[in-house]
Amino acid sequence: MKLSKVIISLLHGLPTTLILLAFSFIFANLIGLGLAWLYLRRNPIANGFARGYLGLVRGTPPLLMLLLAYYGLPKLFLLVGIDINGWAKLIFGIAGLAIGWSAYLAEAFRSAYLSVDAGQYEAALVVGMDTKQAFLRIIMPQAFLIALPNIENLLIGLVKATSLVYVIGIVDMYSTAVDLSNQNQGVYQLEIFVILALIYWVVVLLIEWGFRRFRKHYQYVTV
Amino acid sequence: MLLELKNIKKQFKNNHVLKGIDLSVEKGEVIAIIGPSGSGKTTLLRNINFLETADSGSMLFREQQIDLAKPTKKQILWARRHMAMVFQNYNLFKNKTALKNISEGLVFGQNKSKTEADELACQALDQVGLLGKKDFYPSQLSGGQQQRIGIARATVLNPDIVLFDEPTSALDPELVGTVLHDMKTLADKGQTMIVVTHQMSFARNVASRVAFFSDGEILEEGRSDEIFDHPQHERTQQFLSAIAEDY
Ligand SMILES: Nc1ncnc2c1ncn2[C@@H]1O[C@H](COP(=O)(O)OP(=O)(O)OP(=O)(O)O)[C@@H](O)[C@H]1O
Ligand SMILES: [Mg+2]
Repeated sequence: MKLSKVIISLLHGLPTTLILLAFSFIFANLIGLGLAWLYLRRNPIANGFARGYLGLVRGTPPLLMLLLAYYGLPKLFLLVGIDINGWAKLIFGIAGLAIGWSAYLAEAFRSAYLSVDAGQYEAALVVGMDTKQAFLRIIMPQAFLIALPNIENLLIGLVKATSLVYVIGIVDMYSTAVDLSNQNQGVYQLEIFVILALIYWVVVLLIEWGFRRFRKHYQYVTV
Repeated sequence: MLLELKNIKKQFKNNHVLKGIDLSVEKGEVIAIIGPSGSGKTTLLRNINFLETADSGSMLFREQQIDLAKPTKKQILWARRHMAMVFQNYNLFKNKTALKNISEGLVFGQNKSKTEADELACQALDQVGLLGKKDFYPSQLSGGQQQRIGIARATVLNPDIVLFDEPTSALDPELVGTVLHDMKTLADKGQTMIVVTHQMSFARNVASRVAFFSDGEILEEGRSDEIFDHPQHERTQQFLSAIAEDY
């Protein structure tokens, strides 16, 4: 087996890794936003639910979260009469990662919201905006910029966490590499894993580049 | 009478910050509020535009009677859209350029079109000589420039009254003059304003009336020359002589 073949087979796993990454990140953000919103409510039920969710999810190792999603979600859905046993494993992988990361993102959003200067909100109100306009036009954009470094770190963490989906039998880049290494009885073993590391590294570099460009665009907005 | 405040009371926990404030403002008047730190000057302004809610008291504004302790959402929005405020630390929107800082209130508070709002904002910037900075963000502007934009943001809305809370206190001494100059220009144009200030020269020369605040009360109020030349209360005399070097 040639090294170029190794690279090609590893790259075959890349789309799965990227799909996992993209969808779990999107859903984690959506759930995270909802959670942060609930957490910031004064309503004790909403607030209590968010706290409980955050506490539980943050205390669960990502690997375990994937197993819980894979074995637990079908049971949970059966309770309401929906059979999702036949769903693709990928969906459970996305769900497990999204649930895990939603808690961290919720915290990032919440703390960013709280650290927006209160004077910004007051200034918006006194120029005649209503509370919704003040939130959407002034507070949210600033909170987003404050949260950005945290979001970037969490996304990079998620890149690496996608490799954990082998526990529920999803074939991504990482499990392809492990298979290759086993099939080759030790030949190219180191090379396989070095190439794998390089591919992850490139993905992370691209993410950092994107965030850097974004920051540069808003460099004069110091929140 | 444009604005009439009656018996405003406000306390934070056990701290009685406003102990029954009465104040009337005629159209075109410039009222200076002076007094020691912690006497409740800022709190009074914040009760007028509902950034705080008073415990009791009422406000007659543009012939509308509003219970300051129980304003409706509609009354709050209505009142704010006929008033403006200039903050001590400017509070320019950090995520908006100078131009957008000014036009935002026109679009979202007064339903003007974006083009019309930007045009008015450009004019307002031009008037204070800062049109060249229209695409700058607050972080790229000096404190003096930020505050002059803060004033433009307030006045572009054509408010019946502008509330100033120590607009020059955060500025380097050499920048104070330009901001005071803008405020004097406004006053000369007949803009009604209430100005909380430690700038005694402004209070004396620009304000038509001065109210001296002490401990949550207006201890003394009158024409500015009366207050400065013949203060009646001992507290007023003490306060004025303590900061005598300022004017
Ligand atoms: N949100 C608040 N919560 C609790 N106490 C407050 C609050 N705002 C103001 N106070 C208290 O009310 C009192 C009056 O404050 P205020 O800011 O109105 O004074 P001021 O006259 O504007 O003083 P300065 O000249 O220092 O600005 C102070 O004792 C202050 O600690
Ligand atoms: Mg004050």
